[in-house]
Amino acid sequence: MRKPFKTHTFTMISNFCMSLNPKRKLTFLIASLFLFLSASAQNATEGEKLFKDNCQSCHAINDKVVGPALKDVHKRRDEAWLIKWIKNSQKVVASGDAYAVEIFKKYGSVMTPFESLSDGQVKSILAYVKQESEKVTATVAVTTSDSPTSSVADKLSTNAMKSNINWLLIMVVGLLFVVIFLVFNILETVGRIQGHDVVNWSSINGFLLLTIGIGGVALSIWEFMVHAPLTVSAQKPASEHGPGIDNMFNITLLFTGIVFIITQVALFYFAWKYRSKKNSKAYFYSHNDKLEYAWTIVPAIVLTILVINGLKNWNKIFSKPASGTANVEVYAYQFGWTARYPGGDNKLGKHDFRQIGKSNALGVLTEDPNSADDFTSSEIHLPVNKPVTFKFRAKDVIHSAYLPHFRVQMNVVPGLPTEFTFTPTVTTAEMRTELNNPKFDYALLCNKICGAAHYRMKVTVVIDSQAEYDKWVAEQKPAFTKSVTEQIPAAKIQVTEPNQAVSNKPLASVK
Amino acid sequence: MSHDHSHEAHGHAHVHHHEENFITKYVFSQDHKMIAKQFLITGIVMGVLGMLMSMVFRLQLGFPDMDMAFLKPFLGKWISVDDTTGFGKLDPNFYLALITIHGTIMVFFVLTAGLSGTFSNLLIPLQCGARDMASPFLNMLSYWFFFLSSLVMFCSLFVEDGPASPGWTVYPPLSALPKALPGSGTGMTLWLISMIFFIVSALLGGMNYITTVLNMRTKGMKMSRMPLTIWAFLLTAVLGLLSFPVLFGGSLLLVMDRSFGTSFYLSDIPVELTGGIERTGGSPVLFQHLFWFLGHPEVYIILMPALGITSEVIATNSRKPIFGYRAMIISLLGIAFLSFIVWAHHMFITGMNPFLGSVFMVTTLIIAVPSAVKTFNYLTTLWRGNIQFTPAMMFAIGLVSFFIAGGLTGIFLGNAALDINLHDTYFVVAHFHIVMGSAAIFGMFSGIYHWFPKLFRRHMNKAAGYVHFWLTFISAYGVFFPMHFIGLAGVPRRYYANTAYESFDVWMDVNQFITICALLGGLAQVIFLINFFYSIRKGRKSEQNPWKSNTLEWTAPVEHLHGNWPGEIPTVYRWPYDYSNPNYTEDFVPQNVPHEGQTDENQEFEHPHPTT
Repeated sequence: MRKPFKTHTFTMISNFCMSLNPKRKLTFLIASLFLFLSASAQNATEGEKLFKDNCQSCHAINDKVVGPALKDVHKRRDEAWLIKWIKNSQKVVASGDAYAVEIFKKYGSVMTPFESLSDGQVKSILAYVKQESEKVTATVAVTTSDSPTSSVADKLSTNAMKSNINWLLIMVVGLLFVVIFLVFNILETVGRIQGHDVVNWSSINGFLLLTIGIGGVALSIWEFMVHAPLTVSAQKPASEHGPGIDNMFNITLLFTGIVFIITQVALFYFAWKYRSKKNSKAYFYSHNDKLEYAWTIVPAIVLTILVINGLKNWNKIFSKPASGTANVEVYAYQFGWTARYPGGDNKLGKHDFRQIGKSNALGVLTEDPNSADDFTSSEIHLPVNKPVTFKFRAKDVIHSAYLPHFRVQMNVVPGLPTEFTFTPTVTTAEMRTELNNPKFDYALLCNKICGAAHYRMKVTVVIDSQAEYDKWVAEQKPAFTKSVTEQIPAAKIQVTEPNQAVSNKPLASVK
Repeated sequence: MSHDHSHEAHGHAHVHHHEENFITKYVFSQDHKMIAKQFLITGIVMGVLGMLMSMVFRLQLGFPDMDMAFLKPFLGKWISVDDTTGFGKLDPNFYLALITIHGTIMVFFVLTAGLSGTFSNLLIPLQCGARDMASPFLNMLSYWFFFLSSLVMFCSLFVEDGPASPGWTVYPPLSALPKALPGSGTGMTLWLISMIFFIVSALLGGMNYITTVLNMRTKGMKMSRMPLTIWAFLLTAVLGLLSFPVLFGGSLLLVMDRSFGTSFYLSDIPVELTGGIERTGGSPVLFQHLFWFLGHPEVYIILMPALGITSEVIATNSRKPIFGYRAMIISLLGIAFLSFIVWAHHMFITGMNPFLGSVFMVTTLIIAVPSAVKTFNYLTTLWRGNIQFTPAMMFAIGLVSFFIAGGLTGIFLGNAALDINLHDTYFVVAHFHIVMGSAAIFGMFSGIYHWFPKLFRRHMNKAAGYVHFWLTFISAYGVFFPMHFIGLAGVPRRYYANTAYESFDVWMDVNQFITICALLGGLAQVIFLINFFYSIRKGRKSEQNPWKSNTLEWTAPVEHLHGNWPGEIPTVYRWPYDYSNPNYTEDFVPQNVPHEGQTDENQEFEHPHPTT
């Protein structure tokens, strides 16, 4: 929400216009003017935010994810139906609505009920979906306008042709293999008649072992030079314990790298050097205890160094946090994350899994006084250089909170409280300068297989300076006071005013 | 070609055996050699299936915008085709099913049953000098339980909601809640049934292997004279016997949780997900302990037979004794023992007490020591050898290369502090695909090329073997080496597409490269398959001891006899690695050749280590 929305809307719309062909452009301009006036473009902007927070993990415009692709959903069903469905799809299914039953059967999963969204919010989301759908149609229109005769049928037949070509290709390759194999067979038969191989396999294999073996080691070093700088491990660690881990990584890399190069080179060099030649004999050398001791003890010493170093780091990372660290609850569900902040009292209110989805999405007990000032966010904000303890909680299955830039990861297990304490040391702004990428954001990714939309389950982490953070906190509103929770989705509190929820007024006027 | 003559003689001696019909000879056979072939061919069929699955998800990962409509005839509704554009996309749920079944098939069906089942069955009686397994009947059951298990797993692919898809480690609650994942319905039930049959098969096989090795060795075959293959198979069977029952228990509790409303692994699960009563009081982490108590020894159940095969192939084809025979046995014993006390290194950040993490880090890094010993011994065996580049030898060399590369990255992952940032990323995928995927499959290929003459009395085509090796070797590194870097960039595994986070975009070209390498590797296996099946029927006929090897299986006639040797079982007088012994003119001395002055009575005669 830090982007000035007007510029954002403007660029979005102008991009949209560019992608249109001239004929449609005019209609669109008129339409968009109208949209602008009626402020529903603003609705779409609002909808985009809501869509990203609530829908994106299971839906996309074009692709089927967990649920159906939403392109042109406004054409499939009317708005009233969609609102009912989004708020509680099971009710619609239960009412015997044929379309609803079909959709439910086809996708086989229950859509999360969004009863806490107001009609207005749902409408904003639909406006956004509509806008995105039109964008897609427009691009399609542009790409197909070159060949006005092309119809769906044509396209399908091209596809059929393509797949025929694929099959032909597969058959040709298969035949090729059979032919190659037959050639090998003839070679072998001729070799047997001649009494020696037609092809000198020993020297070919020897040569290949030497070149590919040693060349391969060289290639791996090359790849290391090219790709290592692109990894997060090559970036400045953004937490206090990060340098310790990176340091260990480098030590381990040094030892293993040396061993890798020496042993691989020896392997391929020996294989080439001692390949069988005419009259060559092997050297009978069955054992040497001193050597065995040497290559038991040396690795043992190296590994001891690594173990001691590892233990030190590990124990430091997981030593009991000093009292007074800030607690943030990180709540994981299929497929998203919600952060709950303890508010002024630095105490998180109690929760109970039986209450999840009842009075509020997180199952936080509103009768606990500690929960009164708790607020939630769908973006994680943390102040720089302050130790923070993430208290993890999962609703349904195991997730894993993975923050690669901070060298932080911990599984989020239903029924088992887990936590991770760390101190962020680099603000988002500093990291953007550091990486020379103004669009950079830290992320928390799900890193434990959790279902179809596992790959979309991430949340942005923002490291603020203390001043920015204080300002952000001041903007947050408690999420679990009774009056609020009745109307407002827990995670969206910072976006809308409570009394806004039921009204249909465009949000622009509020801002 | 004097050998050919002797076959004829053996062939005639065989006549007195009772006639077998098709069913007893090829289907419900109790002959260990036939059972070995059954395991091998079932393993290969499953392997092809697992490999094809990997091709599909590699296409998805390398080319996420690709039109997959051409796969519609095979995958049916799992490819959703857009009605207007005809553009086909892979279903994200099915993507998870693909990776799950790929992992399950490769780990259990190919590299456990296909590898250990084939070669333990073939080699334990033949290399120990036994007529058959201790219990041929249980051995037959072992195969048929495996077959049944494969069949159930295969059938699960056709279930309406899709096959099991919570990853091959099937962690609950994901695997227990059909409402959280469609594949956790019938597909998961079939997966569990299949695994339970599989475990029965593994236990029946394992008991047989152990009993046969311990009790049925021929005269003179002391433990200290056993080929390293047999040592590896013995310890593998011991690991399996001790650890598979734990998975059996673990799976059974999961069955209870799924079907009978218990909560062994479920805690604080809201009613909306269970569909009935709320589940509370269990622990998801308990399952992980039980799973990995098998799961980690399983890694060595896969790897040790491959190492045993490699030891044998490298010694034979270097024409040198395996260097440090005793050290090799001790390191195998060390690995086998330690493999039981490292399981929780898979769980450093699962919510387990960090103190346990430090204990398991220590044991895990210790296991690198015996592994290092093995590597150095392989290298020294090659040193000053007279290396014969048979296809089997090429694959054995490949195995050593993978064993080094994958073993070293294990040192990163075994370190709990480093694991925080590497856990479940592509770094892990790269690590285990190199060290237990590629290395073990190379061991298996090495074994197939080496013992093909023993299995099918014919040779495979050599040139095709080399092409197969080089393409597979290059493409395996091409696939898995770059994955390390993707992992270090923090890209999680089991993602349907790496499009959710912009910083992953730079890896798009690397992902494409990997996919191309994977397709190349897949094509290379076509060469192998043609070679394998063609050679079974039409390959060049084998002589009795084609590789001039010392072990007892090559003293048995080429023709397969029930009972292996036509006359008496040969007596063993020496260790199996007398290659290029300067006291002999031939560069190999089979185990059944006595030392000068040695008779059946003075067995204590030990192989003299010539002063060098």
